[in-house]
Amino acid sequence: MKFKAFLTDNGVNLLDKRFLPAFEKIGKICHLYATRDHIYFLHNLLNGDGIQCIAQFRKEALFDEYRISSQNDDRISFTIDLVLLHRALHSIISIYTEFSASDSGVPGGNSAPNRIQIKLVKKLPPHSQQPMPFLTFETKGYKSAVIQDVPISKPLSRSDVLELQAALDMAQDLPQTLIQVPDMHQLQNFVEKMKQVGDVLNVSISKYGDLHLQVSTTLITLGAEFRKLSVIGEQAQSPTDDQNLSAQSRTRIALQRGDAMTVQVSINHFFKSLQCHFAKPDCAFYGIAQQGACLTVVFQFFIPGTHQTDKAISLHCRLPVLDPGAS
Amino acid sequence: MSSSAIEPESPDLVCQLDNVQGVVDALNSVRWKRGQDAVLELSEHGIVLIVEETACLQAKVYLQRELFVRYEYSAEGRPRFGVSLGLFVDCLNTFSVQGHSSAIEIRYPGPDMQLLLKSVETSDSCTYAEIRTRIPDTISWDYNFEPAGSTPLSFTVKSAALKEAIDDLEWPGSSIHLILQPTPPSVTFRGEGHGDLQIDFMCYANTDLLVAFHCDRQVSHRYKYKFLRATTSRLPSSVIRDNRGSKLTIGRGGMLKVQHLVSVAKPAIPHPHVDSAGYQQPSRIAYIEFFVKPEVDEDDGNDT
Repeated sequence: MKFKAFLTDNGVNLLDKRFLPAFEKIGKICHLYATRDHIYFLHNLLNGDGIQCIAQFRKEALFDEYRISSQNDDRISFTIDLVLLHRALHSIISIYTEFSASDSGVPGGNSAPNRIQIKLVKKLPPHSQQPMPFLTFETKGYKSAVIQDVPISKPLSRSDVLELQAALDMAQDLPQTLIQVPDMHQLQNFVEKMKQVGDVLNVSISKYGDLHLQVSTTLITLGAEFRKLSVIGEQAQSPTDDQNLSAQSRTRIALQRGDAMTVQVSINHFFKSLQCHFAKPDCAFYGIAQQGACLTVVFQFFIPGTHQTDKAISLHCRLPVLDPGAS
Repeated sequence: MSSSAIEPESPDLVCQLDNVQGVVDALNSVRWKRGQDAVLELSEHGIVLIVEETACLQAKVYLQRELFVRYEYSAEGRPRFGVSLGLFVDCLNTFSVQGHSSAIEIRYPGPDMQLLLKSVETSDSCTYAEIRTRIPDTISWDYNFEPAGSTPLSFTVKSAALKEAIDDLEWPGSSIHLILQPTPPSVTFRGEGHGDLQIDFMCYANTDLLVAFHCDRQVSHRYKYKFLRATTSRLPSSVIRDNRGSKLTIGRGGMLKVQHLVSVAKPAIPHPHVDSAGYQQPSRIAYIEFFVKPEVDEDDGNDT
């Protein structure tokens, strides 16, 4: 089992400034899954009840000279502590940039460009007889080489990797209707305040482009409705006579017509999904999976300077639906 | 309760507010613990929110009708209802995060006697809330604050200094003596508990700090520290920033009244519709009053 690659500058920026800060907000530990062409960061794919979060990168988006081999069809996966990973990466970047800056200042200086190498190793940790697996970062400093070892779990067994891949395949289904979130930051502020009031959030999404969020307890009902949002997928013309109705009535009628779906999710999960904006996506879309199986949020990234989707990067979350009978 | 409550078409009150954050700040200043219940009283003059604790501490927030962009009151009598204070303020707070100066409409009662709030915004987004109300408990000591004698015993002190003094008195804790004396004109807070701490405000030493000092005889009363602390613990930062003063008055029996002023001015954003008389007012203020009962025992709490 071998894994070795060099982080590109773009990869460094993507991980350090965008994806790791977002992923740390979802949970401390995640699966890192590498295949011949892709690298995935995965939250809660194997254990059912949390928010599932899937970030996928084409190897070129993060790495140069990417080499992977394993007896399991060149697939490797392990769990890693995101806080440690981020800290190690952050520290290695500071050494790397310092050296790169000093290096570039010398005309005809060091010919070999400085790079950050990442590889999978087994090492004997201090005070231990048992070799342990680490994800190691290595770069040259001004006068030294710096190595950061991040402890990881034992690589997943063949059957666990298969299970992870199956869960990943299952998680790729897109809802039939997706609506674009108007302003993620504003929505995040709003939901943060809403969290004070209740734990369960009703999310209704219509084919007209309406998003209706509501917290309801015995003492209070608090909701917000955002209308005329952009719709991807199945859409419908909103009835002309619903302008003067309340948000609740409009949603009820849309549900009766089969033009909307509604699910209940944990407001904490919803809030976490909004925190993915730390990854600086260009837009975000919410949708409800068929039969109300889950609430999906899909983030879209553009190729810088364009409005074309960057297919090398993808990020989406699936929020488990609460059983209405149990809540 | 007014008869119009039966007909939701003609609610007792419909009003509009354009600075939710200011009202949230004002209401937050009377949240001294979790799980407080509040009573809201509506009248043609405005809305009063009343909170009390164990018949020893009461707070009132006066939201006068001038604070509202629109205030339509049509009840007879003064409708009163109870709400959970924390829920009410947290709920109002969700309306203030819109990132721009959103106005809200408050309406009472709803079809099921709820308090209804909704944002008054563009048709493309809307926030709303329905807060369940309850029949209020009778306020156990809805008394009239009476002056202690022919001359009032009162002083005004910078709110920041008052808060700092009361925060410092946490160390001795337990009960705090408040002493007013005419010569030299001064106010003393003295805590005796785990240790002794005395804080003096001298009228002549710093004329800015202590103003409008009225005292014709020495008085001394003891108050529970936790109640004194409740009067300043959640003072909004705008009160300190605006360098406001707080007025303290000692009434009959040593009842202490603490009054604060909280600005509910609209944030300085030009507004396209300058059509309401109340709107252009340069400074809109919510009044907050705390009443603290003194601790009473045989050898203490006397006017001398």
